[in-house]
Amino acid sequence: MKLRTVLAIKCAKCTSYLIKKLNRGSGVTLPGYVARLIDPKILSAMSEMVREKTIVTMGTNGKTTTNAILYKALLAEGKKVIINRTGANMLNGIISAFVLATDKHGRLDADYACIEVDEIASVNVLPQLKPDCALLTNISRDQLDRFGEVDITFQKLKTGVTSVPDTKLIINCDDVLSYTLASESGNPFVTYGISEQIFDDISRSEIRESIFCRSCGKKLEYDFFHYGQLGIYHCPSCGLKRPEPDFTATEIELHDELYTFKMDGMLIQSTARTPYNIYNTLSAYAALNALGAQREHFQEMIESFDYGNNREDIFTINGARVQLHLAKNPIGFQQKISLVLKDPKPKDIIIQINDTYQDGEDISWLWDVDFQYLADAQAATITTNGTRRFDMGLRLKYEDIPCDSTTDLRSTIIDRTTNGTGNLYVIVNYSGLYRTNHLLNELAKASKGGNQA
Amino acid sequence: MKLTIGHLYPDLLNLYGDRGNIQCFRKRLKWRGIEAEVIPFLSGDPIDFSQLDIVLLGGGSDREQELVCGHLKNIQQDFKEYVENDGVVLAVCGGYQLLGKYYKTDKKVIEGLSILDITTEWEPERLIRNIVLNSPLFDTPVVGFENHGGRTYIGDHTPFGKVFYGLGNTGKSGYEGVVYKNVIGTYLHGPLLPKNPHVCDYLLERALKRKYGEDIKLEPLPDELEHLAGSYIVDRYSDKKYILKETIKRHT
Repeated sequence: MKLRTVLAIKCAKCTSYLIKKLNRGSGVTLPGYVARLIDPKILSAMSEMVREKTIVTMGTNGKTTTNAILYKALLAEGKKVIINRTGANMLNGIISAFVLATDKHGRLDADYACIEVDEIASVNVLPQLKPDCALLTNISRDQLDRFGEVDITFQKLKTGVTSVPDTKLIINCDDVLSYTLASESGNPFVTYGISEQIFDDISRSEIRESIFCRSCGKKLEYDFFHYGQLGIYHCPSCGLKRPEPDFTATEIELHDELYTFKMDGMLIQSTARTPYNIYNTLSAYAALNALGAQREHFQEMIESFDYGNNREDIFTINGARVQLHLAKNPIGFQQKISLVLKDPKPKDIIIQINDTYQDGEDISWLWDVDFQYLADAQAATITTNGTRRFDMGLRLKYEDIPCDSTTDLRSTIIDRTTNGTGNLYVIVNYSGLYRTNHLLNELAKASKGGNQA
Repeated sequence: MKLTIGHLYPDLLNLYGDRGNIQCFRKRLKWRGIEAEVIPFLSGDPIDFSQLDIVLLGGGSDREQELVCGHLKNIQQDFKEYVENDGVVLAVCGGYQLLGKYYKTDKKVIEGLSILDITTEWEPERLIRNIVLNSPLFDTPVVGFENHGGRTYIGDHTPFGKVFYGLGNTGKSGYEGVVYKNVIGTYLHGPLLPKNPHVCDYLLERALKRKYGEDIKLEPLPDELEHLAGSYIVDRYSDKKYILKETIKRHT
């Protein structure tokens, strides 16, 4: 190892130590920045130290869950695996993940690296990381104030993957954008997809991307849509069509809120409560196959896998069932509305919308979500919260759905759990997630101890 | 009374929640007991402008705008007559650009409707942020979110408003959008109308007067939530300290 690399690692570790000592946040990006300042080629050097394979996961929705499945699956085979923490998916965060995983001699002890990569960051990260495989979950509108428009996201990802022409892509072929990207890139690729209709009408928002063929500009025809632009498509003009996927899930059934399905000869009794987690499972499995990784323990691992990932959690507070959900873009929010509607019991709902840079400063995406269905959700109360609570309220007003707003989340939760329906949904976007999770944990603990907060 | 609203090419131009503008037109008519019919025209559909009272042309990506461009030629003449005949138009972002002569991107020139004497040129740095305008048409500011790569030069046309916070037509001119007869062209998403009910009512009143005569007056609606949402942004960007904080964040 070069002296420069060793120095970079040491300094990054010092930085991380200092951040934690000074209590200045979790310290997941600055160490990477410091390391890169000292050794600009640090990421290449680190990724070469991974003994077997490196895989990256990219795409609009499902990155974190899919990456976690890959990580757990490889651990279950007794492998040593590096993973970057949620949210640390830009260049500096990824470097931090590698650097902070080294031993005191600056050596990396890892068989695999599972790295989640932001779509924009992919342009810089991929050429340095040179992953063996790149998994692409799907491409849809998200944080348009950062990405500009979906076509820009598409171009960034394409630039990213074409810079590493040997990297094998794992592609959702139900998504015409992903499939077109793979076909145009020239990279080798394998596909996964679902041929059964498993999503309900409510999870299919009217707003979708690119139903126009990217090669000839004609409108695509669909046998049916899963959600967004995902579905079984073909172009009547140039012959582009959704291919038969290399990996698929069949006999998908919902029993007592949980999905079971068949995949590669296994009958999986999953803990997934939402159909998009079948996609996440399928894509991870296809990727393990592409990596040539062992999969003997996959079924056992996935049947006890926690898809929640701190993003979907269930708490008991003052005897009420409280569910926390993350919804940060139109497709994600639509899925949550579908989930809320599957629950026939009366409920209270709190929706928190913030507009920090992490969330996306532009909250106009709320109007791309079909909120009208909430009118039939048996909601006793709907309360909006967060910096853009009035915008959220306005969105509901224009569907004639009554709501009120609060600046005090804690007392609203206490009130709804004591005086409400006993069934509370808290839906938040990104920046409120950790704080709200923390708050709910605290309230759950307090109410268990009997001393009501 | 009844207004017919033509939503042009929602299959291609549906970015950034702009269908909220349609919803706003529809609801604010309905809440006043006025009938509203919305006709979506998909790309390629023939359009009879004589049956329309309001036309909405939304925004799309550069690629989608290019696809739209092909369909515009067929409607250009009728659309222009509609505008000269005091037809009400709201054109947002991509739709605003298409009202002009052309939109020059890095790769090609997209020909517009040439209804207004304005031109747009693409620059690599997109203008993205919250925006607050003061428009001579209204007592209350107009708020929204801008997100565009194009710089629009409006020549001798009247701008929609003066930029109080944000970037506007070119990022430099200090003005945003354009007003011509009963046409408003603007970069403001948000979507524009729900948070700016005064803009929505202005357009509705224009359309009703054109159809039913000058003495039509719209009844006021309880717009408390609309004003809270709008003034939240106005207040935020009236605070110098907040602007400084945001500017620092943007550059680090």
